Amino acid sequence: MSELPLIVENLTFRYRSRHEPAIRNINLKVQPGQVVLIAGASGCGKTTLIRCINGLIPRSYKGELTGSIRIFGQDTQGLSLARISQMVGTVLQDPERQILGSRVINEVAFGLENLGLPREEILQRSQEALERLKIAHLRDRETFSLSGGEKQKVALAGVLAMRPGILLLDEPLASLDPASAQDALQMIRQLADEGMSVILIEHRVEDVLAIHPERVLFMSDGEIKFDGTAEQLADYVDYREVKLPAPMILNLAARAEPPSEPHWLPSGREGPREPLVEFQGVHFGYENGTEILHGVDLTIYRGDIIAVLGPNGAGKTTLIKHAIGLLKPKQGRVLIRGRDTRHMSVAEIASTLGYVFQSPSHMLFAPTVYEELAFGPRNLNHDPETLRKEVMDAIEIVNLRGYEQIPPLSMSFGQQKRVSIAAILSMRSRILVMDEPTAGQDYKNYISFMDSILQMPGFEAILFITHDVDVAIRYANRVLLVNDGQVVADGAPEEVLSDLERLEACRLVPTSLLRLNLEYLSATRRFLSAEALAHFSLA
Amino acid sequence: MLVTWRYRPRKSLIQSFDPRAWIIFFLCYIACTVLFWDLRYLLVLFAMALVAVFTSGIKWHEMRRAWLFIGGFILFFSFLTLLTGRGGIELYKEEHVIRRLAAGFTLFGWRPTLILSAERIAYAVAMMVRVFSLASMTILIPYSLNPALYGVTFRGLGLPDKVAYGMDLTMRFIPSFGRDFQLTMDAQRARGYELEKISGGLFAQVRKLAPLIVPVTIHAIVASEDIIDAMDLRAFGVGPRTWVDELHYRPRDRALIAFGVVMLLVCIALSLWGFGKFWVPEFLLRLAQ
Repeated sequence: MSELPLIVENLTFRYRSRHEPAIRNINLKVQPGQVVLIAGASGCGKTTLIRCINGLIPRSYKGELTGSIRIFGQDTQGLSLARISQMVGTVLQDPERQILGSRVINEVAFGLENLGLPREEILQRSQEALERLKIAHLRDRETFSLSGGEKQKVALAGVLAMRPGILLLDEPLASLDPASAQDALQMIRQLADEGMSVILIEHRVEDVLAIHPERVLFMSDGEIKFDGTAEQLADYVDYREVKLPAPMILNLAARAEPPSEPHWLPSGREGPREPLVEFQGVHFGYENGTEILHGVDLTIYRGDIIAVLGPNGAGKTTLIKHAIGLLKPKQGRVLIRGRDTRHMSVAEIASTLGYVFQSPSHMLFAPTVYEELAFGPRNLNHDPETLRKEVMDAIEIVNLRGYEQIPPLSMSFGQQKRVSIAAILSMRSRILVMDEPTAGQDYKNYISFMDSILQMPGFEAILFITHDVDVAIRYANRVLLVNDGQVVADGAPEEVLSDLERLEACRLVPTSLLRLNLEYLSATRRFLSAEALAHFSLA
Repeated sequence: MLVTWRYRPRKSLIQSFDPRAWIIFFLCYIACTVLFWDLRYLLVLFAMALVAVFTSGIKWHEMRRAWLFIGGFILFFSFLTLLTGRGGIELYKEEHVIRRLAAGFTLFGWRPTLILSAERIAYAVAMMVRVFSLASMTILIPYSLNPALYGVTFRGLGLPDKVAYGMDLTMRFIPSFGRDFQLTMDAQRARGYELEKISGGLFAQVRKLAPLIVPVTIHAIVASEDIIDAMDLRAFGVGPRTWVDELHYRPRDRALIAFGVVMLLVCIALSLWGFGKFWVPEFLLRLAQ
C-alpha cells in the first residue's frame, strides 16, 4: 500500500460532559515500521488521542470531533469499528480490562471468531500469534491464572491475530515487572521492524528509549508540544517532569541548582533497633492447596524505609497482607508490636499500620474527597478537631488542595490513586505499607507525593512494593527481594542491588540510574538520585 | 477481568455428557420438580439429584461454602414456612392441628399463637425437599461446566450469537463480582471499617453499607464498560460469528436428552391426571387426633 498508515489532521475532540477539548489541533503522520512514543503527564490527552484513532471516539465515547483521521488512505469517519479494528489493533493499559476469553486460545481467537472466518483459519492464525510471542505453551491455560506479564502478551496476541497494520499501546508496561517489560518492548521493536506502525503511550520513557523509537511526541494540555527524536527530547522537556535516562539527567541537572539533601523522616535507626512488625516462619497457602509463602522470617524495625522488589506473582502482596491481618499465616506467626495478629482485628491493626491497596477503585465511595479521607480516622474515633487537621494535611501531601469537595469517583485514575493514598495517610498510622504506590502515575506526580510522604512526621517505618528499581534507589534504606514466596535478599540498597546476577534471577533489570550509582559507589558510599549524583560528580 | 467458577475436569457422570445435553436435562428436571407437591414424588426426584451430586467427583471441601450458605438459607425459610404456614394455604383447605402453642402474653390485644398442624408440617417438608432438589442440581453446574464452552453451549441451544456470548459473560460475572466484593471488604477493613459494628435503624444501616456497596457497584459498571470497549475493538457483533470450539452430540447425549424429555412428558401427564398433588402422610393425621 502506498498510502501512509496513519494521517491525523487538525484533530480536536471534546467529551460531551466536559467544557474544554481533551485534545486540540493534533497533526500526526506515521510511516510504516515506525515506533512512535507519546509521553506526557496524566490527563494530557494521550488516551483520548488513542481512542480517536481506534474509533472508540466518537462511537463509544460521545462528544464533538473535528478534523480527520485517515488510516491507509481511508477516512475513518465512514468506517465501522469492525473495519477499523482490522487495521488498528489496540492493547489497553491494563490487560485485566481487555481479556475476555476464559482460556488463552479463546481470547486470542476472539476477534477472528467475530469476523466469522473459517475455523481452520482462526486456529492457524491464533497459533501463529501465540508462537510469535513465544507463548504457545499457554494455549489452554485459564486466562485469570496467568501472571501480569503473561496476560499482557496474551492480550497482544489477541490483537496481532487480527493482523493490524497499526498497533496502539496504551501504557503497556504499567503492570509488568522490569524483565517482562523489557521482553514486551523487544517484541514491539520486532513487530515494527517487520513493517507494523506502533504508537506507544508510556510514562516509563527511559525504558522505551532502549528500543530506539523513531519518534517521540510530548503532549501537554491536549496538544503536541514536541515532535522529534529521542535525543532532541532531552533539550525540550523538563527532566523533573519526564523520566529520562540517568546519564541525560546527569548532564541537565549539573546546570541546575543542586537539590537539597533529602531528609526522610522515618528515623530512629540509630541506637537499639526496635522491632515493629515481626514475621516468624510464616507459611501461607490458599484453599486449593498451593503454598504461596514458604517460611518467611522478617522484622521491620523503627526507622526502616523498605522497598519490596520481585517478579509478578512472587507473593509480595500476599506477604504484606499478613502485616495488616487480612491474611493469617497457616504456620508461624506475625507480631505487630509484640501482639499476634491472630488475636487482633484488622481494624485494631489499622490504627497502628496503614495499608494502601494497589487499586483505588476498590475503596473509593464517598461523595467528596474530604469525606473519603475522613472515613478512616472516623472509624478509629479520632476527635473532630484532629480529624480535620489530619484530612487537610493528607490532601496537601498528595497535592490535591482545591479538590476537597470533588467526588473522588469522577477523578482520573492518577488522582484516584492519590486520594487512596491520602485516605490512609489521614489515619496517621505509625507504620505505612503501600502496594505499588507509583504504578500508573506520571513521574512528576509520584516524585512529588513520595517526597512528601517520606518527609511526613509521625511514621516510624514505611514499606512499599514496587517494580521500579529507581524508586527503591531514591527512597529506600532497606531493600527486600522476594521471589517464589521467599525473601531471597534483605539489606541496604547498596548491598542488595549491587548483585546484578541475583537481580536478574528476580526479573529485575539494572536501570541506568543503578549502573551510574554503582559506578560512583566507592566515592558516594550510598545510592543517590540522578540529580544529587550530578552535583556529586561535579564536586 | 472476569474470573471463572471452580471448574476442573473430573471423571463424573455430569461431565461425561455434552454440556448442551446436560442443560436440556437440567431444565426438564426443574420443570418436573415444580409440577409436584407430593412428598413421595419429590423424593424420587431428590434421589436423582443426589445421584448427580454423589457422582459429580466434586470434593466436599470445594462445595462446602456453597452448601452451607444455600443449606442454611433453605432450612431457615422452611422453618419460617412451618411457623407461619404461609404459602400452603392454596394447597389445603382444612388443617389437622397437632398442637397449639399460645403465648402467655398479648400484644395490643392479640395473643401470638403457634399452630403445628399435619398440613403445615407436610408442606414445610415437601417445600424443603423440593428446594433442596433444585439447589443440588444447580450447584453442580458451575463446578462441572467448562467455562470456555459457556458461549458455544448457549449458541448450541439455539440462542443467537450475541445473546449466547452475553450469557457466557454473565455466568462469569457472578464469581468476579464475589471477588471484587472481597477486595473491597479488605480495603475498607484496612481503614478501620467493621461490618460487625453496624448499628442504628434500617436507613442508617443501609447508609453505613455504602463503603461496600458503592465501590463494588461502580467497579461493576466500569468493568462492564471496559468489556464493551474490548469487544468493540475486536469487531464483536458485526455478523455471524464462528465459534472456535465445537460440540458434537454422541449417542449418550441424545439418550440423556430423550430421557429428560420423556421424564418431563410423563410428569406433565401425571400432574394433568391429578397425580402428585399435596399429600399428607397418614401418621401425621393420626397424631392430630
